[in-house]
Amino acid sequence: MIRCENLHVTFNRGLPTEKLALQGIDLTIPSGEFVTVIGSNGAGKSTLLNTIAGDIKSTQGKIYFDDRDVTKLPATRRTKDIARVFQDPLAGTCGNLTVEENMSLAYGRGKRGTLASALNNKLRKVFKEQLSRLNLGLEDRLDSEMGLLSGGQRQSVSLLMSALQPSSILLLDEHTAALDPKTAALILDISSQIIKEKQLTVMMVTHSMRQALDHGSRTIMLHEGKIIFDLASKERANYQVKDLLNLFAQARTDGAELDDDKLLLGG
Amino acid sequence: MSLYAFLGTLEIGLIYGLVAIGVYLTFRILDFPDLTVDGSFTLGAAVAATLIVTGQNPYLATLLGTLAASCAGLVTAWLNLRFNILHLLASILTMTALYTINLRVMGKPNVALIMEPTVLSPFEGLGLPDMYMKVIFVAVCAIVGGLLVAWFLRTQYGLAMRSVGSNKRMAQANGIVVTEKVYVGLALSNGLVGLAGALFAQTNGFADSTMGIGTIVVGLAAVIIGESLLASRSMLVIVMSCIVGSVLYRFAVSMALNADFLGFQASDLNLITAVLVALALVFPKLRNEWKAKRAIKEQI
Repeated sequence: MIRCENLHVTFNRGLPTEKLALQGIDLTIPSGEFVTVIGSNGAGKSTLLNTIAGDIKSTQGKIYFDDRDVTKLPATRRTKDIARVFQDPLAGTCGNLTVEENMSLAYGRGKRGTLASALNNKLRKVFKEQLSRLNLGLEDRLDSEMGLLSGGQRQSVSLLMSALQPSSILLLDEHTAALDPKTAALILDISSQIIKEKQLTVMMVTHSMRQALDHGSRTIMLHEGKIIFDLASKERANYQVKDLLNLFAQARTDGAELDDDKLLLGG
Repeated sequence: MSLYAFLGTLEIGLIYGLVAIGVYLTFRILDFPDLTVDGSFTLGAAVAATLIVTGQNPYLATLLGTLAASCAGLVTAWLNLRFNILHLLASILTMTALYTINLRVMGKPNVALIMEPTVLSPFEGLGLPDMYMKVIFVAVCAIVGGLLVAWFLRTQYGLAMRSVGSNKRMAQANGIVVTEKVYVGLALSNGLVGLAGALFAQTNGFADSTMGIGTIVVGLAAVIIGESLLASRSMLVIVMSCIVGSVLYRFAVSMALNADFLGFQASDLNLITAVLVALALVFPKLRNEWKAKRAIKEQI
């Protein structure tokens, strides 16, 4: 479970460039729920994910994982609970390490590295098994340099890596945005498989309204650092992309003036 | 080249092999260009030589020289990580400070170790001529050092360190504490360089305040020469190629200096070094260009 209480993030506080990136986010995501997050550029989607992951320190408010207050925990110590896949396929893997070395790093996520050998045949077998799920032939390229793989292949491996170590939360930050439609579909498919299999609590940021409605069981929209609407599964079932786009357009034109009445209308 | 000169060149090449491994750790593994080594090489030598002169056990002296150099690396890492000083600048600051510290450690610009016991003493008079024994000793040191580093880089901890140099964000997302890896890496790197300094002082019979000048360039030259000759993904081969690169560099320099038709003098060393490093950097690029050109021609 993830719980955010009155979460505020302000960049460049006190400077002329001050930006209120998150302005009082209250959000509870029960264990096993898959939430899609939408919103225009600069709405605070990535900031929210990065704050939950611990990359960004909140200026106010609290974050809990299963009733444990993690607000003050640094990002590296939250990795026991959180797995992530980034938008940039190059960001989630080390280009000059091999596929198996990258997977070994992910296999040790949240644990202290010891002086035991990073790779052995037992691990290689596990990695091969996992890679064969992708049907990309990567299981025979364990010792290829990651940098030689295509963006789609790298993102697929990143995704597998996020599931190598048990975690309860998976944060997907537009993880298909940089891929061609076919690869994106493949990645989404594998994501769904993994999420179901491991019963993860998921937040997926996306720019595609279709994706947002098709995946998960709940959709939230952010605008100027606030959650402007929150669609749970029942009402969401009746929503079409068109409706979402309307809401989206409304948020844009109304901007800061969007108030509670309009929220009610939208919901 | 006489046998004596040959062995001398080999010996220095092997000692600087340890420097090259240290430089490889910072420049390539951590992506942290660290110029501290110019100071920590001398520091290792100065601490070891001073302790030996005051009657300490040479092995203990060497160990303490190594540790002192490691601490110098920690200072650079601290300046960079704690205060966000650019890595290059942080290391230049430490290097500059070390020049004074080395003079203070020795109390004078130069400490002679002639007639003093050294790490080599136990092996003297075992029947092997000194000049061979010295080379074998430093070869064992360099190879054992190289094996240990290669082993380390293949452990979970070592792999984590490599990921820090490759992709910090990914490392962090996998729970790797970046700062810790940088501290450990710099301590390890400078420790190796300090060990090389301590060994250099003992095999050559002196420690001098200026002996470290240019260490970084020599180390880098060795790394680059090794890389361009032995391209490999295996950690063992890469680390050993640092040693090979260092030895080859020494031979290239000594050939250039000894070739009468070139007319070089000993004082031309730095120019030769710069040209060698430039060649080693340019060669792989040119080779690729030639290959590409030939491929195009063959197609036509």
